[in-house]
Amino acid sequence: MTGGRLHPFTLLAIAGTLPALAWILPAPAGGAVTTAVALVLTLTPGASPGLAGTGSSPGWRPGLVVLRTAVLTAAPFWLFLLLLHDVPSTIAIGLRLTTMIASVVWVGALLPPGRLVEAMVAAGWGVTAAYLFAAALSAVPLLKARAQRIVDAQRCRGLSPRGGLGRRLRALRALALPLVLSVLHEVDERALALETRGFVPGARRTPLAPPRDATAERVGRWLLLVGCAAALAWRLAWRG
Amino acid sequence: MARLTLERVSFWYPAMGRPALRDVSLAAAPGEVIALVGNVGAGASTLLLVAADLAPRVVGGKIEGRVNFRGRGKGEGGRGIVLPTPWTQLSGMAFTVWDEVAFGPANLGWPRERIAGAVDRSLAALDIGTLAARDPATLSGGELQRVVVAGIVAMEPALLLLDEPTAELDPEGAGLVWRLVRALAGDGCSIVVATSDLDALPEVADRVVWMEDGVVRRIGAPALLAEESVCEAGLATTVADVWRTARLGAPYPLTVAQAERRWRQ
Repeated sequence: MTGGRLHPFTLLAIAGTLPALAWILPAPAGGAVTTAVALVLTLTPGASPGLAGTGSSPGWRPGLVVLRTAVLTAAPFWLFLLLLHDVPSTIAIGLRLTTMIASVVWVGALLPPGRLVEAMVAAGWGVTAAYLFAAALSAVPLLKARAQRIVDAQRCRGLSPRGGLGRRLRALRALALPLVLSVLHEVDERALALETRGFVPGARRTPLAPPRDATAERVGRWLLLVGCAAALAWRLAWRG
Repeated sequence: MARLTLERVSFWYPAMGRPALRDVSLAAAPGEVIALVGNVGAGASTLLLVAADLAPRVVGGKIEGRVNFRGRGKGEGGRGIVLPTPWTQLSGMAFTVWDEVAFGPANLGWPRERIAGAVDRSLAALDIGTLAARDPATLSGGELQRVVVAGIVAMEPALLLLDEPTAELDPEGAGLVWRLVRALAGDGCSIVVATSDLDALPEVADRVVWMEDGVVRRIGAPALLAEESVCEAGLATTVADVWRTARLGAPYPLTVAQAERRWRQ
């Protein structure tokens, strides 16, 4: 079974368990194992669905992109750690941070937000909770597009975002103010639009494409939780 | 029996001393298309919010008079409104156009098969079936407008309220929306539309309501859009306005076809 077919909650459970174990298990061995697992996961088929099938080796090439993203994101942390700590501490903390970063990058590449929302609705979460999550994710591309339009409009009026620090700060202000104000202005209209489309607290929403949640996966998630708890207990009781 | 009735309705937005609507009375029958026309600040958008039960319930403010709607609460058999800014009407919970259109029906708790049927019909009616898999955030203004209209139509409302539904559309898209309006009215849906696309109204509207400063000035057949007082207010159809400017004599024709007939006489 590839990661892309797992239930969203299972993917989140894996992505949460690895960093937890990285911090619970003794360093550097524990961190090394979890980092290795997290990095291998980034290579699993199905990672980075937006890139699937674009390379000559579908399944691996997208995975390599995800792996590269994880490594490049983690690299600056290693650099800062090396400046602040000795080598053993850098390795211990760096491996833990890399596990966290690789897990997040992996699950981000693998899990379409819409699928997670469907899983939340199907699991009986309130529509408000699902909305908060989905709206936050869907707001990113919308805000990026709007920011670009504002930048274009300001450029038409002679504002240049290039040059020295002062000029860049002025350009930033000219971008941030209209962006924030326009978002605030839209809150009322968005509330009206949601209301008229039946999105009210307590609405009995139909999940459109609920992901299949196999018994084995549910058991697996509990095992991950129990495993974390056991590792923590072992660490506290016997290793200090 | 009217589906929507407003009796002497006045409405004040929060912290506003002057009413946005004053003593407005109007009734919409099943299958009727009513067009609200007026200049900026006439109160047409406010009237739609009141009719949609969003003002004052969600918007805030104060209302006097009676609003009576014969139908269910919302959506199916209820009332749906399309606001004039499509980019603020995305649900934020959908990552494809299909899911966006399905957002309303899903909130009504319909079975999935029924949702699928309603969404596919709605997408086809707005000619946006090819956009079904697209991310709504990547759509153009015109595409977005169609998606938003499709999202409301998919909920199968008994009363459809449209605020400038063709503002973002090209002539072809606008024509599509107006044909859909007539088709929905043919199925018994009551439609109240605020629009500045005056040239479309002779073919679309059963009645025209001329509003000014929150007050209903006149209610009548679309021929109202060729009357002298309406022409003076800048609310006539293009043909009527041209005819009047050319001093070709009243009564002014509403459409090109009428003008042609008059010219041949």
